[in-house]
Amino acid sequence: MTKFIACLRLIAGVLVFVLMTGLAGPTNAQQPNSVNPNASAVKEQQLLDKLNVVKGLGTIPDTKSYVLEHPAGRDWRVFHQVTLKWIGGIAILGMLALLVVFYLWRGTIRIEAGRSGRTIVRFNGFERFVHWLTATTFVVLGITGLNVTFGRSLLLPLMSPEAFSAWSEWAKYAHNYLSFAFTIGVVLMFLMWIGQNFPTKADITWFKMGGGMGKSGGHPPAYKFNGGQKLLYWLIVLGGAAMIISGYMLMFPFYGGLTVDNMQLAEIFHGIVGMLFIALIIAHIYVGTLGMEGAFEAMSQGTVDLNWAKEHHPLWVEEEMAPKGAARTQPAE
Amino acid sequence: MARMKFLCDADRCIECNACVTACKNEHEVPWGMNRRRVVTLNDGKPGERSISMACMHCTDAPCAAVCPVNCFYTTADAVVLHNKDLCIGCGYCFYACPFGAPQYPKVGNFGSRGKMDKCTFCAGGPEEDGSKEEYEKYGANRLAEGKLPLCAEMCSTKSLLAGDGDVIAQIYKERVAKRGYGSGAWGWQTAYRETIAT
Amino acid sequence: MLIKKSERHTQRSSLAALAAHGKGGIDRRAFLRRSGLAAGSLAAIGTLPLTTVREADAAAAGPLTSGATIRKSICTHCSVGCTVTAEVVNGVWVGQEPSWDSPINRGSHCAKGAAVRELVSGERRLKYPLKLVNGQWTRIKWDQAIDEIGDKLMEIRRKSGADAVYWLGSAKMTNEGAYLFRKLGAFWGTNNTDHQARICHSTTVTGVANTWGYGAMTNSYTDIRNAKTMIIMGGNPAEAHPVSLQHVLEGAELKRANVIVIDPRLTRTAAHATEYVRLRPGTDIPVLYGIMWHIIKNGWEDKEFIRQRVYGYEDARKEMEKWNPEEVERVSGVPGAQLERVAKMFATEKPSTLIWCMGQTQHTVGTANVRASCMLLLLTGNVGGPGTGANIFRGHDNVQGATDVGLDIVTLPFYYGLTEGAWKHWARVWEVDYDYLLGRFDDKKIMETSGIPLTRWFDAVLLPKDQVAQKDNVKAMFVQGHASNSITRIPESLKGLKALELLVVADPHPTTWASLAVKAGRKDNMYLLPVATQFECKGSRVASNRALQWGEQIVKPIFESKDDLEVMYLIAKKLGFADQMFKNIKVENNLPVAEDILREMNRGSWSTGYCGQSPERLKSHMAHQADFDMLTQRATKGPNKGDYYGLPWPCWGSPEVRHPGTPLLYNTNLAVMDGGGTFRARFGVEREEKRPDGSVVKVSLLADGSYSKDSEIKDGYPEFTLGVLKKLGWDKDLTEAEMAVINKINPANPDAVSWSLDLSGGIQRVALKHGCVPYGNGKARMNAWNLPDPIPVHREPIYTPRVELVSKYPTLPDAKQFRLPNIGFTVQKTAIEKGIAKQFPLILSSGRLVEYEGGGEETRSNKWLAELQQQMFIEINPADAAERGIKDGAWVWVTGAENNARAKVTALVTERVGKGVAWMPFHFGGWFGGEDLRANYPQGTDPIVLGESANTITTYGYDPATGMQEPKVTLCQITAA
Repeated sequence: MTKFIACLRLIAGVLVFVLMTGLAGPTNAQQPNSVNPNASAVKEQQLLDKLNVVKGLGTIPDTKSYVLEHPAGRDWRVFHQVTLKWIGGIAILGMLALLVVFYLWRGTIRIEAGRSGRTIVRFNGFERFVHWLTATTFVVLGITGLNVTFGRSLLLPLMSPEAFSAWSEWAKYAHNYLSFAFTIGVVLMFLMWIGQNFPTKADITWFKMGGGMGKSGGHPPAYKFNGGQKLLYWLIVLGGAAMIISGYMLMFPFYGGLTVDNMQLAEIFHGIVGMLFIALIIAHIYVGTLGMEGAFEAMSQGTVDLNWAKEHHPLWVEEEMAPKGAARTQPAE
Repeated sequence: MARMKFLCDADRCIECNACVTACKNEHEVPWGMNRRRVVTLNDGKPGERSISMACMHCTDAPCAAVCPVNCFYTTADAVVLHNKDLCIGCGYCFYACPFGAPQYPKVGNFGSRGKMDKCTFCAGGPEEDGSKEEYEKYGANRLAEGKLPLCAEMCSTKSLLAGDGDVIAQIYKERVAKRGYGSGAWGWQTAYRETIAT
Repeated sequence: MLIKKSERHTQRSSLAALAAHGKGGIDRRAFLRRSGLAAGSLAAIGTLPLTTVREADAAAAGPLTSGATIRKSICTHCSVGCTVTAEVVNGVWVGQEPSWDSPINRGSHCAKGAAVRELVSGERRLKYPLKLVNGQWTRIKWDQAIDEIGDKLMEIRRKSGADAVYWLGSAKMTNEGAYLFRKLGAFWGTNNTDHQARICHSTTVTGVANTWGYGAMTNSYTDIRNAKTMIIMGGNPAEAHPVSLQHVLEGAELKRANVIVIDPRLTRTAAHATEYVRLRPGTDIPVLYGIMWHIIKNGWEDKEFIRQRVYGYEDARKEMEKWNPEEVERVSGVPGAQLERVAKMFATEKPSTLIWCMGQTQHTVGTANVRASCMLLLLTGNVGGPGTGANIFRGHDNVQGATDVGLDIVTLPFYYGLTEGAWKHWARVWEVDYDYLLGRFDDKKIMETSGIPLTRWFDAVLLPKDQVAQKDNVKAMFVQGHASNSITRIPESLKGLKALELLVVADPHPTTWASLAVKAGRKDNMYLLPVATQFECKGSRVASNRALQWGEQIVKPIFESKDDLEVMYLIAKKLGFADQMFKNIKVENNLPVAEDILREMNRGSWSTGYCGQSPERLKSHMAHQADFDMLTQRATKGPNKGDYYGLPWPCWGSPEVRHPGTPLLYNTNLAVMDGGGTFRARFGVEREEKRPDGSVVKVSLLADGSYSKDSEIKDGYPEFTLGVLKKLGWDKDLTEAEMAVINKINPANPDAVSWSLDLSGGIQRVALKHGCVPYGNGKARMNAWNLPDPIPVHREPIYTPRVELVSKYPTLPDAKQFRLPNIGFTVQKTAIEKGIAKQFPLILSSGRLVEYEGGGEETRSNKWLAELQQQMFIEINPADAAERGIKDGAWVWVTGAENNARAKVTALVTERVGKGVAWMPFHFGGWFGGEDLRANYPQGTDPIVLGESANTITTYGYDPATGMQEPKVTLCQITAA
């Protein structure tokens, strides 16, 4: 016990001493007896070891110029030259390979009951406009984006440097400017379809049944959007947001205090998400075209065959067929 | 073959910015573009050191590696240059550069960064040596005239050295041996994967 | 397909092979030089393989520089004297090249020097004469401007006398321009002619000249290389004189020298020091005495040197002994142990030099500061040899020259003073009647009375008439090349700007005279005359090391601007005395010939040894720069073999004597004809001293057993007169022609004609022939009995935070100096009574940035420089900033102790300044009290960067000996904006 008190006293004593010297320090600032600025010169390796960056002070307003040395550029370069190419290659080629295999195994999913001859409105004009706005800009963004990563290896050997640069410059402009249209598309899509994209119990069943993609998968229940489509929706909304945010960071470089580190991270993020996004959309395109009979017209004409709707979105058809919606069905030609 | 390098002797650099204005003067570099700059570390404290920095003309230059349109090339003197006709102003070289060398003029709106501009080691560009086109795009070509970069030639304290890497390394070694101290060849490890043993 | 440079290179320039063939390439030495090699290690590099020498093929030269004419001039931005090499094509300056051959800058420049080409493209220059008409800037013709200005000047002269016009000249003029401007003042009839030396080194000139004879740098920038120990006290040459650091740092490296920086700020210079001493601003004298205390206590002083060459040591010693380490630390904050180490290095690791700049000079005790510095040098025997001396870094490119040529209120050209004898000397040189000159002045007394210092111009305008000791107040300012914002107390100067009857600004830029005059409410009677920069003129300039360099005209004056000389001629012609003034100067198309002006100076400048530097010799030096050795500054070959570069004055005798110039003053190790010398016997031959017992003894002021090499007189001797020559029997060496001239100068008493009045140069020639210095061989004075403080004493700044020290160390009593009252004592007393130090607890000091110069309007208009410093700021210590909640980069209000002065600037929070000290650069202008005055400039002439002037906050305080202002210590408060 006495030991404890002695210990306390010691601590208190040290505290008082520190406080006193701390207070006395600035007012009576005893200058050091020797200052040798030359001998205490900063060393590059010490600074690099500490933060892997050497940053100081300059006089021009461009604060990013105050970074003297930033060896991390070398790491980013490895990512950009090696890692991203592998990620992109595996994701895109992998997805294509997967789809080819799937197609060979499953073929086009037909309307089991055959066409009824009656159609039902699936997407109205506005919905289709938004879809195609987003889709076309995405395709352009994807291709022009891929050009940045793969163009030099794949395209440049096939054309003159001048032609490749001209194409790449236009590609850059297209990529930058169409990003706005893409942004609008994603935002509208998000608002327009969010109501129908909250997960329901039916979606669990849908996923349990593998989306009915198997050869004898049957037809799992689905409202306007099935579980897979909802997943796609959220991936597009979130992935789109990620692309948009990281993209704008790259488009407005160093705004709002962004550093080279931030920019490099944004580029890494944009690259990886972009590659995965492209792979995802390739799958989406497959399902909407070659993969399934009767699906494409939903976005081309806005109507689908009633039998197609009953097979893939039975719950939605039920809703639509309810008295309120009955009037909306129209006879086929 | 000569391997051109820059070396800033930080123990001599006094942040006088002669290198910066000499560069502006020689190449008529516009306001807002800084091919060369001086950064001060430990500003106002004992041990303060200033270092003049521009493109270091790296060995295996990261800018050249990441350029999506392959607009960089390296001369026989190991000077890293680029072709503005090919550059698309994407900004990737800035992300890759460990020294913040690439600069972009602001042209038009947001996305349209202009053609990248950077230190040429006073060696111009792909156009005819000493031609008007070369001057307008890249500035003067002093190397072709048998001169070295003006920033180093005009350095107030002979802190900034430019020339054959072996020669300037030797000069630096001599200096350190003479005076007994040296804070090192800043950036050499990063740029050239080597240091100067002193 | 793309052709890459590398492909062509491999074909065209097999570099090593070319070097072997030696075809048109640059040689090995040139390459090494271009690589930035120190001369010291050339030999060691000699064995290296040189693979980089490449073809210098004229055909391959750039389109802009092929066929260019090379013209050489001198950088106008500081006193180092860097040669500027210009490439000119079709009258356009297209490029700058390193000036490798200059033995001063050896190719180097600082930011300003590397950007001077911009000055003659001049986007922001004044393009034509302008007149303020009802508050609007209106374009007028030159003829109209000269007519109206001349008429107004004559009207003021009739009403208020000649002294009512103030002629404010410039250290940026050539020597010829500055001389002519002083002559213009003399022919107008006033001594109110001043220039920037007043506010930079007037205290140096007075203090140093009163110590050992001449008020100039004793050695040179390049000679610093010889020093083993150097103290840089009150100077930041890394920013103010960057190229000098080449010699400081390289020299220090080669000699492993001690570099001691004593400064309130840990400057960019201090960053390269081996010892940094932080002192409280305004305590230089206690610190210097503190060093001397250790020296005498340890017996490190140079006793033999003191015995032979120093007067007044015993008196000075009493003051030194007062400053024990405790008192020094109490007053200055510098620990005794550190000063003991500094003292030991300085006194025992010799040669030692003391370098100073405006940190010492710009104080109410400026003259005393520099004298204390001289005392430290004398005490340790560090004057008059390589690596020693007072290396005083002056400011402008020609501030030494403008001082020498007497663009000053206290003297005629070349330090002759204002006595009747001086006026008669210059009347003889100018070949006008003395009575004519006398008739130009209001009266004989005022003709021989010092003028008003430029620091007080607005006091001379505003004070009640009876307090201004001349016929009337100052009514007109004719300003040719001087900033207004480099003068303290700007809020009060605004009233002066309003009250003036006429304001003429002849300058390449409108300057803050324009923007502040409009702010002050001025509506008319103001003229802006576009004057060319010095790159558009030719003439000589004197670097700090007293060397003259001839600058060529690089391009013709741009727009409607005119050469300084032409403006002066036009004004003189309008005022009606051009015929008299230009009697011996040829005028071509209204432009006086610069060479003729220099020849006239040569004819009259015996006192300072400016007589040997003919235009021909100077031009030859510029043309053969490569012949000069950098370290000794002496030509080893060529037509100027044996000369020191730029013929640093004194360069005795007529040009035909071929004196080589004097690179180091007072150097007894060399013969006079080799540049040797002694301390000047300027203060008489003996002095009566009262002993404590009441007896009076006569003490010799001549050197005791010390003399310059090969002197025939092996002891001290007085200055030479015909009488002295006669006593020595040397008068027989004079020619008949020389005797005739001497007899004509003073027919009544030719024996009294001295070395400095003898226009024949005979007396100088004969003295030199016998190995003697014309000015005599005297002792340097530690006791300068004619100054307000004969032995320097510490005096607290007028506005000091240490009020408790004032009773012991008060400023000097109020007095009348330079025609005006100096009420420093009253101001100090009032400040203490009002508790100013409590309201304004921070010391405010000011200084230089490397990118700008002086008032800064020229450099802030230079786009290459302006980009590098776009914001006015104040440095504040982190502790002070934290107390006030101030963040780095944030806007703050700085308030001053007088006139409710306030300035809005950004904060730079840094440990560079100590706690309790704030610092501002003094180059900004164009803002006042938070207001942007950009609209006040004539359209298109506003500098790119504007900002608050530091001098908006600075306060009262004037050195009694020179009228120097006090921008280095005042008080302020800083609050977040």
